[in-house]
Amino acid sequence: MNAFEYATALSPDSARSLVGNQGAYLAGGNDLLGLLKDYLINADILVNIKSLPGLNKIEPGRRHWTLGTLVTIAEIEDNAGLAQAFPGLHDAAMEIASPQIRNVATVGGNLAQHSRCWYFRHRDTVCLKRGGDLCYARESDNRYHSLFTGNTCISPVVSSLATTFAALDATAIVLRNGKETPMKMDALYHRAWENPLAHNSLDPGDLILRVEIPTSRRSSAYMQVSDKHAFDWALVSCAAAADVVDGKLAHPRVALGSISPVPHQVEAANQFLNGKTLDDETASAAADMILKEARPLEHNAYKVPMAHALIRRTLLKLKG
Amino acid sequence: MKKPEEEKFGIVSRREFIKGLGVTAISTVAAQTAAVAQELEKANAEKVIGPGAVPVTLSVNGQNLQLQLEPRVTLLDALRNYSSLTGAKEGCDRAACGACTVLMDGRPIYSCQKLAIEAQGHQITTVEGLAANGNLSPVQQAFIDKDALQCGYCTPGFIMSVTALLQKNPRPTLAETKHACSGNLCRCGTQPHILQAVFQAAGVSMADKTEVIKHV
Ligand SMILES: Cc1cc2nc3c(=O)[nH]c(=O)nc-3n(C[C@H](O)[C@H](O)[C@H](O)COP(=O)(O)OP(=O)(O)OC[C@H]3O[C@@H](n4cnc5c(N)ncnc54)[C@H](O)[C@@H]3O)c2cc1C
Ligand code: SF4
Ligand code: FES
Ligand code: FES
Repeated sequence: MNAFEYATALSPDSARSLVGNQGAYLAGGNDLLGLLKDYLINADILVNIKSLPGLNKIEPGRRHWTLGTLVTIAEIEDNAGLAQAFPGLHDAAMEIASPQIRNVATVGGNLAQHSRCWYFRHRDTVCLKRGGDLCYARESDNRYHSLFTGNTCISPVVSSLATTFAALDATAIVLRNGKETPMKMDALYHRAWENPLAHNSLDPGDLILRVEIPTSRRSSAYMQVSDKHAFDWALVSCAAAADVVDGKLAHPRVALGSISPVPHQVEAANQFLNGKTLDDETASAAADMILKEARPLEHNAYKVPMAHALIRRTLLKLKG
Repeated sequence: MKKPEEEKFGIVSRREFIKGLGVTAISTVAAQTAAVAQELEKANAEKVIGPGAVPVTLSVNGQNLQLQLEPRVTLLDALRNYSSLTGAKEGCDRAACGACTVLMDGRPIYSCQKLAIEAQGHQITTVEGLAANGNLSPVQQAFIDKDALQCGYCTPGFIMSVTALLQKNPRPTLAETKHACSGNLCRCGTQPHILQAVFQAAGVSMADKTEVIKHV
């Protein structure tokens, strides 16, 4: 790790000015310190944002719940009210990494974590994402990579919170150029869909302040499949959310992680499911629609049937 | 460019520091730590410090450690290489194995992925801090009784995770125990004995758990 300067910010505005264009915000540090240790990024200053006032709260509300960016994954896991309001979010949090990571990892840091592509993470390979001119994964071992992408890079988004927030139609509020800018999950990751250099749509200095989760979907579920039973990223993850009224789905949403640079959502499938009674046939038809455009590579075709099964199972967990 | 030696050990060299141990570097007034750290935090807030070494006060096992550290020094490095507290081990140095687990305010964290400078104002407990008056803690004793280690490299990390679990949940189920230990890996495959040690420490009868544990 190269040497860096260090500062503790006490307000979002001073965090922004301290971080400049070459610095990085330090939240839980789980991802950031790994990037620095392997020289994958350089930061001339780390700005510790954990003392920013008011951003560590879980606040219930009639229209939406608010999670401050500094709320830890363990706090999400342990909050009974939140688990009741959004069971899918609780289940997603519970499966993220390990207790040691959940105790310090934050909402904002989880959303802004960088690619886990093993070529990107190898300090000696400079792939497209690090400014080189080749995607190594395309022609090599791409077993963990995307089924969908809008550019040459096939590194998927792996944030379990992003997948779940997408299904819950949550909005991240980002401080950009002094203004609070709302971003749904598709907007928060859109740049990674288009640009191989991007991990998300954040500009240098953009600060996630909080996430607002609408209360309109009272049923939600999350499931993932990993190589290891615990302490592992998902091969595929799936979140679904809806209101279930008289056995029928109202404004349902399905999102998948680890198969695209953005949480993968197909509006046509959400519309197809709206007003339907859930059974395996309906869930299966939705899964077909969601995966129709999948472009598997040499080593990741297994993700298609895995995602299909996960979509069905996750949808069938939605309860009235 | 700095000389590598200076860079590694900051202003106070390791040898000088170790010589100072027990005289000035460690003060036993733990109660003052939080106050000291809060003062430091206030004084340092919004002020850019580093990249050179700066004073850092850590409260470890109830004692104050006053160190000179560059901001990039991790808590694990501060413990092992600047303070001779080698109980926490370095395995992966990437938040992926659990060997470096310590408690921060009672909760297990990876000390390899936390900057020492950020740990100021928090109570850090390492495996060295568990024994009281020369007696091993029940968890430590159970690890010995149940032969819950082979090479022992993962053991301090497991012991910290299990200690935190039992403080929060004195009679955990098998599933809860596995969930709490999921961030610790053992290359020697001692997990079944570790689970037995957890149940001994929790005072839970083994009879109803043994069958399950055999099949872990
Ligand atoms: C073995 C292992 C398994 C894992 N499994 C999973 C998993 O299944 N699912 C999953 O989601 N994650 C998983 N993780 C990743 C882990 O959850 C993330 O590393 C962690 O959530 C990052 O949060 P943090 O607060 O520590 O972020 P940091 O490391 O502090 O920050 C990460 C990045 O976000 C930026 N950042 C932080 N806060 C903000 C903000 N408010 N605004 C803008 N930028 C910000 C930082 O500058 C940095 O670039 C796993 C990690 C490991 C090691
Ligand atoms: S998938 Fe993306 S991150 Fe991985 S090698 Fe290709 S360009 Fe690099
Ligand atoms: S050394 Fe910290 S988790 Fe492996
Ligand atoms: S006893 Fe050797 S790694 Fe666990």
